[in-house]
Amino acid sequence: MPNFSTADPIAAIYRFCAQSMHYPEAAWFTDDYLKKLDGLLDALGGEEERAALPGACPGGRDWLEDLQVEYTRLFINGIPHTAAPPYGSVYLDKTLRGRYSDEILAFYRSLGYSFHKDGDLPDHIVYQLEFLSFLAEDGNRTGEEEFLRRYFLPWFGMFADRVKGQAHHPFYRIIVTIIDFFTKEEEEHGVQRNEA
Amino acid sequence: MAFNVTRRKFLQTASLAAVALPLSEVIASESGITRSPLEPPGSLTDETVSGGICEMCFWRCQLVGKKRGDRLVKLEGNPKSIDNGTAICARGNAGIQFLYDPDRLKFPLKNVGERGKPVWKKIGWTEALDECGKRLAEIEKKYGPQGIAVFPHGSTAKYPMHFFERTVGTHNVSEASFFQCRGIRDTAYMATIGRAPGEFVDMPNAKVIFLLGSHIGENIHVSHVKQFIQGLQNGAKLVVVDPRYSASAAKSDIWVKIKPGTDTAFLLAIMNYLVTTKKYNAEFIEEYAEGFDKFKEGIKEWSLEKAAKECDIPAAQIKEVAELLAANAPNVSVHPGRHVSWYGNDFQRQRSLACLTALLGAFYVKGGWVPGKNPKIGKTSWVKKEHEGGHNLNENEDGDLKHPFTPPGTPTELIRDAALTGKPYPIKGCVIWGQNPIQTIPDQDKMKKVLQQMDFVLCVDVMPTDATMWADILLPEVSYLERYDLVKAGTQWDFAQKHQQYIAARMPLVAPMFERKDQVFITNEIAKRMGYDKDIPVKTIEELVDKDLEVAGLSLDKLKKEDGIHLMDGKDPYTMPEDFEIILYNEELEDAGFPGVPTYIPVEQPPAGYARLLYGRVPVHTFNRTQNNIWLKNAMPDNPIWLNDELAAKMGLKDGDMVGLVNQVGFKSRTTTTVKTTPGIRKDAIFMAHGYGTANPLMTVAVNAGIDDTSLMTKATVDPETGAHGMRNTFVKFVKDGKVIDIPAAV
Repeated sequence: MPNFSTADPIAAIYRFCAQSMHYPEAAWFTDDYLKKLDGLLDALGGEEERAALPGACPGGRDWLEDLQVEYTRLFINGIPHTAAPPYGSVYLDKTLRGRYSDEILAFYRSLGYSFHKDGDLPDHIVYQLEFLSFLAEDGNRTGEEEFLRRYFLPWFGMFADRVKGQAHHPFYRIIVTIIDFFTKEEEEHGVQRNEA
Repeated sequence: MAFNVTRRKFLQTASLAAVALPLSEVIASESGITRSPLEPPGSLTDETVSGGICEMCFWRCQLVGKKRGDRLVKLEGNPKSIDNGTAICARGNAGIQFLYDPDRLKFPLKNVGERGKPVWKKIGWTEALDECGKRLAEIEKKYGPQGIAVFPHGSTAKYPMHFFERTVGTHNVSEASFFQCRGIRDTAYMATIGRAPGEFVDMPNAKVIFLLGSHIGENIHVSHVKQFIQGLQNGAKLVVVDPRYSASAAKSDIWVKIKPGTDTAFLLAIMNYLVTTKKYNAEFIEEYAEGFDKFKEGIKEWSLEKAAKECDIPAAQIKEVAELLAANAPNVSVHPGRHVSWYGNDFQRQRSLACLTALLGAFYVKGGWVPGKNPKIGKTSWVKKEHEGGHNLNENEDGDLKHPFTPPGTPTELIRDAALTGKPYPIKGCVIWGQNPIQTIPDQDKMKKVLQQMDFVLCVDVMPTDATMWADILLPEVSYLERYDLVKAGTQWDFAQKHQQYIAARMPLVAPMFERKDQVFITNEIAKRMGYDKDIPVKTIEELVDKDLEVAGLSLDKLKKEDGIHLMDGKDPYTMPEDFEIILYNEELEDAGFPGVPTYIPVEQPPAGYARLLYGRVPVHTFNRTQNNIWLKNAMPDNPIWLNDELAAKMGLKDGDMVGLVNQVGFKSRTTTTVKTTPGIRKDAIFMAHGYGTANPLMTVAVNAGIDDTSLMTKATVDPETGAHGMRNTFVKFVKDGKVIDIPAAV
């Protein structure tokens, strides 16, 4: 798997979050990935999360399938219902591919980025986080703040509540907590850098 | 969950880079977002795309899509259409919501739980297809091709159905559109006029429109409704025979409030009256019909009085209808109906309708039964291979057919019985493609047992349904708005207008979302894995459509340039074909042990305290298929039970009360629905719309909304001539607050 490379720590965090919201496959969901996640949680002081992780992802053959089943149930087609579709439009327009998804696409383009994932939709949380990573890497702080305020935060809270409330598996609760941490705090939007 | 540090502090730590940058080592470089040249806001273009063909029901109206960028925002009728024109119905409009329904199937799913209690896991197409190919090939090898049963429905299911039927060689194919819907109509007319009747009645130019059970207006097929309304506008009289005051009955000149199950007696009395009073078209019968004398003899017992008693209607009304038909013959539209799987005595009723049309001389005349003359198009599919015989479940030991007038395929009940008993052979593989056999076939428990005993169940669909809960592998199919598909050919809807023909092919209005695939891709990939690569007839769906169009000298490219519809001059539809004949008395039927002359066979009536459960359509839904559509759900959230108002008063029920139902063997509905009290229904029957009350929680909008009428059909009745089901022989009582309430009419 060719690795992402950046010199910007914030860009790396956004992309790590985006990666974590992909369908869990053996190709990336490795022991190394879990080690990095543990390291991040350690730095954040997330002792409770760190403690939950080994039990949730213990290694061996079956746990990855458990996580795939959980991802399918939460984000694709789930019982008793798709708990938390990862598309902003579902929360803001009550449909897939609503007007919101056009607006977000236009916003990507207006800042000099394009979306090109055949078959998937531009308002998926993975692409929103990837977009934030690009903005961070390219030093567009105004764009990052505007995107979070206008497009990401209006739905992410509803999404995160559903995941936290309905997840059977701690992994996705942990990931949305991390995303929440990096996107919303102290009534300021966007990642506030150390200006010193 | 919360972290012991604020974000600001964390981001200001000197070790930020040391913590964050190593994360890159486990992140893939590929992304859905890339840098690109700046584009000014507002650069999305609006466009109109033509070539769509609706499939919110089977009528297939021609569409255009209004798009903003790559998002479909509105559907309209194609202005070039000479069929539906610019009009589409509520369901057609709601196609947008269907396309973007968050509950739609998106990726191949594998059931890692139990059948019926699935635990779904997304898998890749290669793994899914490998699994399907391997498991189906194993079943074919172990049990023979007949060990695979196929339940197909809709335009995408033809190609896979033909693969399993013609190439693999199983006879065990059961289409709901035949065995639970119109098959009886088609074979009864075949046995009478040598052709299936469709709904080909020239209503715009009729003097009388005669509907028996059809409730046009509650079932909306746009050009058909146009024909009906045009006929009424032109002054046609309307006769509606229905136990219920339907939307059609509300426009009628004569409403015949018939006792359910007795329609054939009513038709025989009308025909006998026409014959005995010599008010039938003797010249027409003389020229085109065979077996008139035996027919006349066979129906002579049916006096107006006898039928009046049997049908619980006034004799004078039967006479009034007969006189009206005779006075306006031959310009009478005797509608053949569509869903006719009612009581298990349906073949005889459908034969009677065809014979009545004959007595009125109402074939190939203005206002009568008139099939338009359609242009020829291709029917590209799998080539039929030679297969060993002896596996047709419809054949008895002597090689005779148990249900000789069966529609194509094998009667559902024979397939289910073989699967459950293993006799005469096991059926261990099941392919369900676009059909929902749990909610279309009576006796749901039996169907579940059939699926439970399979070695492998594959479902292919666009939405989750009650049937997909029983799949081992569930594959997501592209919807009608995302694919190339069938070619539709027809004529203008009003034969009084200039004769025209049209050819339209379904073309995608948007690109497929997620990982949905079309029927040619899925079938071919399974075929390859089962060792049938050399038999594959086309590589892509586009190639298939092009081949079908080639027969008419067209191509997809050409059609695209013509806004999706090719128009040409038409032909006079009223010319009688040279080989046309009417078989009033059918010797083949008699040889097979059935009445050769249309005959009334009484059906069981509700026991004391019960009423017959009737079901039908509502204009905003196509059965279960549209139930999850939030736009349509809001238009009609549940299926109120029509209950005679006088009975309701006696039973202490009022409009809006929440009730359940219990049937004659004690089966209780899983859910409840509301009561609608009305004088517009007989006291021995109740009515509700079909398709509600889905049990599949994956349909987040529809689940448990209203009552599933099919769940109450625990007893499957079979029409003997055809093997198709009769579905209106369920008797029910009400349940309110846990208490069973008798229906006093029959007490």
